[in-house]
Amino acid sequence: MAIWLVIMLALPLAAAAAGVLLGDRPASGRLSAVAAAASFAAALVAVFADHAVRGRHAFGNTFFLDGLSGVFLIAVAFVYAVVAVYSIGYLRPGIGHIRLRRWYWPLLDVFGFALLATPVVANLGVLWVAVELTTVVSALLVTAEGSDESLEAGWKYIVIGSAGLAIGLFGIVLIYAAGVPSLGVHYTPTYSTLAHAAPHLNGSLVRTGFAFALVGFGTKVGLVPMHAWLPDAHSEGPSPVSAMLSGALLAAALYAVLRIGAITQRAVGPSYVHVLLLVFGGLSLLLAAFFTLRQTNYKRLLAYSSIEHMGIVSLGIGIGGPIAAYGAFFHVIVHAAAKTLAFFGAGDLLSRYETRDADDVRGVIRLAPFTGAMVLLGALAITGVPPFGIFRSELLIVTGGFAQSKYALAGLLVVFVNVAFVGVYQLFHRMVISPGEPTPRDRTRLSRPEQPLMAVAMIASLAVVLVLGVWIPSPLNRLLHAAATVIGGRV
Amino acid sequence: MPAAPHYDFVHATAAIIAILALLSGLSLLLVKQVHEQVRVYAVQSVCAAAYTLLVGVNRVDAALIVLAVWTALIKVVVIPIMIDRAVTRRVSEHEVPLVVQVPMSLLIGVTLAGLAYWSASALPTHGALLPMPALGMPLSLVLIGFFFMITRQNVISQIVGLLTLENGVFIATVAIAPGLPFAIGFLLLLDLLPAVVFYGVFARLIAARAKTTSIEDMAVLRG
Repeated sequence: MAIWLVIMLALPLAAAAAGVLLGDRPASGRLSAVAAAASFAAALVAVFADHAVRGRHAFGNTFFLDGLSGVFLIAVAFVYAVVAVYSIGYLRPGIGHIRLRRWYWPLLDVFGFALLATPVVANLGVLWVAVELTTVVSALLVTAEGSDESLEAGWKYIVIGSAGLAIGLFGIVLIYAAGVPSLGVHYTPTYSTLAHAAPHLNGSLVRTGFAFALVGFGTKVGLVPMHAWLPDAHSEGPSPVSAMLSGALLAAALYAVLRIGAITQRAVGPSYVHVLLLVFGGLSLLLAAFFTLRQTNYKRLLAYSSIEHMGIVSLGIGIGGPIAAYGAFFHVIVHAAAKTLAFFGAGDLLSRYETRDADDVRGVIRLAPFTGAMVLLGALAITGVPPFGIFRSELLIVTGGFAQSKYALAGLLVVFVNVAFVGVYQLFHRMVISPGEPTPRDRTRLSRPEQPLMAVAMIASLAVVLVLGVWIPSPLNRLLHAAATVIGGRV
Repeated sequence: MPAAPHYDFVHATAAIIAILALLSGLSLLLVKQVHEQVRVYAVQSVCAAAYTLLVGVNRVDAALIVLAVWTALIKVVVIPIMIDRAVTRRVSEHEVPLVVQVPMSLLIGVTLAGLAYWSASALPTHGALLPMPALGMPLSLVLIGFFFMITRQNVISQIVGLLTLENGVFIATVAIAPGLPFAIGFLLLLDLLPAVVFYGVFARLIAARAKTTSIEDMAVLRG
């Protein structure tokens, strides 16, 4: 397992170094895409081929992989791979308007490295550093188009994100202090050390520490009310970066919350963790669902959809019990695939219409049939229409709610998911299906041929979210069960 | 009858440092000029470094002493100079527009400090040398830094607020988890440095557009 993790982490760094040397040459993009795809393959081997689901350390206490980290690792590795492939096409002249071309690939690769490191590191301090690194790099990527709006979005993101992470670090310090009486002043806060010592940790410090960690890392997850940076960063960043933020970054930050939550749960029991997740998750779902109804900027709409989905995952864990937790972890994976598809489609749309305003986009399906189909399928996938994977994960969470006799929560989930469906679908339906009268200039621009690599990335994302909607391979099934055991209880 | 607390030279010094650090946090709320805000941050960082040094000497802990020297170098010298060179000298205006005026800011700052001490008293922490509740002062800096960030519409002020918040977390780490700095203390600072460089880049980009570090005009993205 260890060697695969090293390969997985070394490849993005090597690609970043090569990107710095090669600059704005096409080889930079190709190298990055190969490195990202190979990292994804290495992640799959590390997770599935070596019984990592049982929870294992590698290289002493450097890496730790169990069901929980496996789920998030697969999600972020997949997103990094498809985003790198998509970006090659997106950076072609006349498509994406990236001004920061010289540094795009090195930054994307370092971003990928930090995201891949987050779920596999073994101690809380390094976990924080990995998440902090994602902030610094991704904030620069958000500004890559160089517009005033992207600058504003990048600034908000780095200020709010960094403040959140400082608060998250405060939470980690409190949890460390909770272990000092039993573990001594000098100890390495690995997950397994803290988990074993959990019954002896000071309860009030652990509770306060988790609350700070939830608020701090929750800022990066985009949980309401710490979400102010998210709609701006997602909507103003280049579309492949938006996909990476939504599908991978939010998941990686949520992983940090859940990892600390798992330790907290062992120390003080599950109800405290569950209640906090229910409160923040419920607020996020509620607010985001209503905000989807009033958006006319289609990328911003997708950003609110991301807040909604992080709320759903938090609710799934907060409901408690193995079924809802299984559904929540499955949701992390299918959301990663569905949201990359949606943002890829939005990027294609943006490159053709050069506007984010849905009111200026009409009749896509007739003028650019492939793009129109992908955009519409992406919208259907993220709103949980069967047979897409999100339908299945949401159904599992609702079933878990009923199994735990939390009928009101399950009912609220159903209601707000449907509110979000109305908000998302009506806007995308209007853009794709409704007739429009484009000018001759529009016709020329809209009918440009599909960029093959962008199409490949979209089809790959679509295939994952579609296949997982009807079939969960048994290794993935075992992984999801193992993840649910870490924080949701034994299946 | 409980025994009276014993204060020796080391505890008394720690108490003075804690008071100075808290006062530096509150002083931030008084100054409108960006250069002065950066200087107040430097003074506050002197307190953080001095406290780390005191704990290191008291515990005979070489790593903490090195960390104190490193903190002084980075936070007292490098970061203020970097911020000053990156932005402050390039822009025309230096007075920060305030969302909340100075008297009200100070009142809120004192209230936040009171809240921090009250909250910290509920936590069973025994801080290295700091007067109890040990987390009162660091938590005050966290809250004041946060408040400062959200009420100053200027790039430099927001950076100073963020760094103040980070100073609070740093002092808390040394106070209640002195073993933790070995693992992440250096990483924390090493991480902070590139972050500030990036902030400098952002701030410069913003300043280059309008020769201002004000963010009052940043209101395009809403809803």
